[in-house]
Amino acid sequence: MSKTDEVPHRFSKQGFSLEKAIRFFFASNAGLTIVILVLIIAFLLKEGLGFFPGYRRELEVYRIAGLEFVDLSRSNLTAHEQLSSVLNRAYFAQINGLCASELKRSQEAAAVFNAYSERSAATHDLIVSNLDAGIAPDSEMLATLRQNHAASTRKALAELPATPHLTRAERAALIQSIATREVSSKDDPPLVTALAAQYAAAQQTHAEPLAGLRGTLDAFDAAGTDLSALVSEMTVAVTATKEAIQAGDVLEKNRTTLVAAAAHAKTPAAREKLLADAQTSLAAKTDIDGPMQALMLRKPACIAAHADLRQACAGILDGLPAALSQPEAERLLRVARKAIPAFMANLEQAPQRIGQWRHDTPVPLTAAIGSFLTGKDWVTGGEWQDFYGILPLLVGSLMISLVALCLAIPAGVGAAIYVNQFASRLEQAVIKPVIEFIQAIPSVVLGFIGILVFGSVLRDISQFDSLAWVPGFPIEERLNIFTAGCLLALMSIPTIFTLAEDALNNVPAAYAEASDALGASRIQTSFRVIIPAAFSGILAAVLLGLGRVIGETMVVLLVAGNRIKIPDFSSGIGAFLQPSHTLTGIIAQELGEVPLGSVHYRALFVVGILLFAIVLGINATAHKFVSRSRH
Amino acid sequence: MVTDLPPPAAPLPAAIRIADLCFAYHAKPALQQITLDLPAHQITALIGPSGCGKSTLLRCINRINDRIPGARITAGSIHIHGIDINRPDIDLQELRRRVGMVFQKSNPFPKSIYENVVFSLRLSGIHKRSELDATAETALHAAALWDEVKDRLHTRALGLSGGQQQRLCIARAIASQPDILLMDEPCAALDPIATLKIEELLHQLKKQYTIVIVTHSMAQATRCADHTAFMDLGRLIEFRPTLQLFNTPHHPQTLAYVTGSFG
Ligand SMILES: Nc1ncnc2c1ncn2[C@@H]1O[C@H](COP(=O)(O)OP(=O)(O)O)[C@@H](O)[C@H]1O
Ligand SMILES: [Mg+2]
Repeated sequence: MSKTDEVPHRFSKQGFSLEKAIRFFFASNAGLTIVILVLIIAFLLKEGLGFFPGYRRELEVYRIAGLEFVDLSRSNLTAHEQLSSVLNRAYFAQINGLCASELKRSQEAAAVFNAYSERSAATHDLIVSNLDAGIAPDSEMLATLRQNHAASTRKALAELPATPHLTRAERAALIQSIATREVSSKDDPPLVTALAAQYAAAQQTHAEPLAGLRGTLDAFDAAGTDLSALVSEMTVAVTATKEAIQAGDVLEKNRTTLVAAAAHAKTPAAREKLLADAQTSLAAKTDIDGPMQALMLRKPACIAAHADLRQACAGILDGLPAALSQPEAERLLRVARKAIPAFMANLEQAPQRIGQWRHDTPVPLTAAIGSFLTGKDWVTGGEWQDFYGILPLLVGSLMISLVALCLAIPAGVGAAIYVNQFASRLEQAVIKPVIEFIQAIPSVVLGFIGILVFGSVLRDISQFDSLAWVPGFPIEERLNIFTAGCLLALMSIPTIFTLAEDALNNVPAAYAEASDALGASRIQTSFRVIIPAAFSGILAAVLLGLGRVIGETMVVLLVAGNRIKIPDFSSGIGAFLQPSHTLTGIIAQELGEVPLGSVHYRALFVVGILLFAIVLGINATAHKFVSRSRH
Repeated sequence: MVTDLPPPAAPLPAAIRIADLCFAYHAKPALQQITLDLPAHQITALIGPSGCGKSTLLRCINRINDRIPGARITAGSIHIHGIDINRPDIDLQELRRRVGMVFQKSNPFPKSIYENVVFSLRLSGIHKRSELDATAETALHAAALWDEVKDRLHTRALGLSGGQQQRLCIARAIASQPDILLMDEPCAALDPIATLKIEELLHQLKKQYTIVIVTHSMAQATRCADHTAFMDLGRLIEFRPTLQLFNTPHHPQTLAYVTGSFG
């Protein structure tokens, strides 16, 4: 090579230029973000995927220890108890419904007296204790105390609760009797006693025609006794077996760890020691056959108990009255009627199921996956058996999201359309920042407002007699799906509003101009041209709002009520007024308490993976709509 | 020179009479004392250097300038078929149905070809399929687009080529059967072949519509327009039959412009 070749061309750059350094800095930032995301996904998968084999083993133990066998009987027993409870509730709802007036009158009178007693208790007790002490009371002091008591009585009497079901005269008499009450008196005011007696009498009167039903119900209740005893007995046995198996599993795990450690031991002496330790940890193979044989001996007894129960329950449908006059009682009666056929069918199949059950049927991995995805129970940390069924959480999350979207879509999109298309400058200048400000409220504060204000107000409203026709009213739980949905709607409105407004803004002005030039009115231009043109963008806004709703944790944890149960759809739309738990809430609530690496811990990771996948899917779809809406 | 002038043509019935029109954007005057009678069933071209107010004048005729806040007529009037279009009792929507407009940049809606054409019918509450079909076909025929799109009426209009989109906009504008068609540099964004097609189309449309076209191409004005108005700085300088305006301009400014030594 000639020498000239080594001299750099005079245009070529030399050394590490500033431009390159800046480039490298930004490239490394972008790269780091991607690496972190990949690490997060890898970590989620690593922690989560171990769940299924672990859960499979738990289900296997559930079978070989015989818990599954016991549950065959127990499920019927539980169904029987629930049915019995519904029927009893119907019975009492009927009676209380018929005595509603007496009940309310009695309750109101008692409430008045209780309110008085509570408020004047302090001054009252002072007098009584002074009189009781036996010491000759200082008459001057006693006079002061009496004066105080009189004052507090007056004050209490001025603020008594309302009594819409008592007549004016009755209320006046009640107040009079309270005001003139002896300090030492321990009796209730005469009206309270009288009304209580009236109520009791009314209950008796109305119970008489229902005596037949009472008999049927008592017989029905009693029918479960044999099976119940049998189940309790078996429970003790199988629980012991399960514990033995689990202890064996722990020892076995220790042993494999020690053996693995021995393989890597540095010195032969250390290896010897580790292997010796492993030897001691060698579990005596847990005896499962013995207890299982003992359990199988109960098969005939179980079958017989089922047959008895079935016989005892056979006539139940005929024993029930055709209809009950009180709406709540009638509703419960209908719920029971609907449940009875399935209950009887299960009883009928039980003997066969019990007969065919085998403890050595293998539990495949797919059973664990299926049980996770379609399981109706999420039971953890229980004494009996843990189940990781995601359905109650998924249903809760979806129902809350549904409520939130039903409220947030009209509000958010409507506000966006109004602000973008019809509002004056001034209105725009007010509405936009206010809606966007909602985003600035920390979700925990919102949750707290939700509990204190929204939940309580809603429940109080639902107590009004005149609103009893609304499905699900009166609300039993202050924290429920609907409350959580409302708050999440509030949280997602800014997202939906801002993005939808952007989408409307991005519609080229040329469309509006063309539409106007064709003779369209203002409204026609908005609804026939601009909104359709922004449709994909609005849809993307809604989806991103949904992503936010599903991923939100704090509010649902505080407000959704956290009951792990699929809501009871038998009350129709009232199911939305029941408490529920969610995918996000369960992770936040349980992850801090589970032992690291346990099956439960891993189950929460799988829930996390699922959540991640759902939100990712939603965002990807939204992204597709956004790119389609580019004009 | 004056003796060379042909005798004045017989006065044509004026479709649009613009009298002493002054127009301002906020305080900034854009048109000053424009007086112009646009003859019916003729093509009138508006030419002039950019920013002279051609578009503004055109947009006064269907009052689309009303959309712009602060834009208003400060003096003068516009009559269409004898009616003052700036009277307060004018139905603006009806006016715009009678006076169609085609914009410089084609702006079909992001809907199907068919829905674009029948848009104005749907606005007036016509949803009868047969009626819509008939109108769509007539309008697309009139815009010389039918043969090209008849097999894909229900595909996206935004998938058409630039020239086709502009003809679609013409079809959309004439679907409501207006009397007047306003065109603001309709060929500015088109290639020469598409431009030629539209110019041919203009000759066809002239039979039915009074056409006012803004163009920056003097060649186009000579090819298409019966009359041409030359504007500068918001004023009308000269308005005469096209050939006369180009061959024997009266005004030195016009002369400078048409000979290219303007400015
Ligand atoms: N929306 C508007 N707001 C304010 N001034 C405008 C607006 N549109 C046009 N103008 C002004 O009015 C004058 C005439 O514009 P225009 O009619 O568009 O001219 P041309 O179409 O002849 O190029 C120009 O000076 C332009 O700056
Ligand atoms: Mg222009």
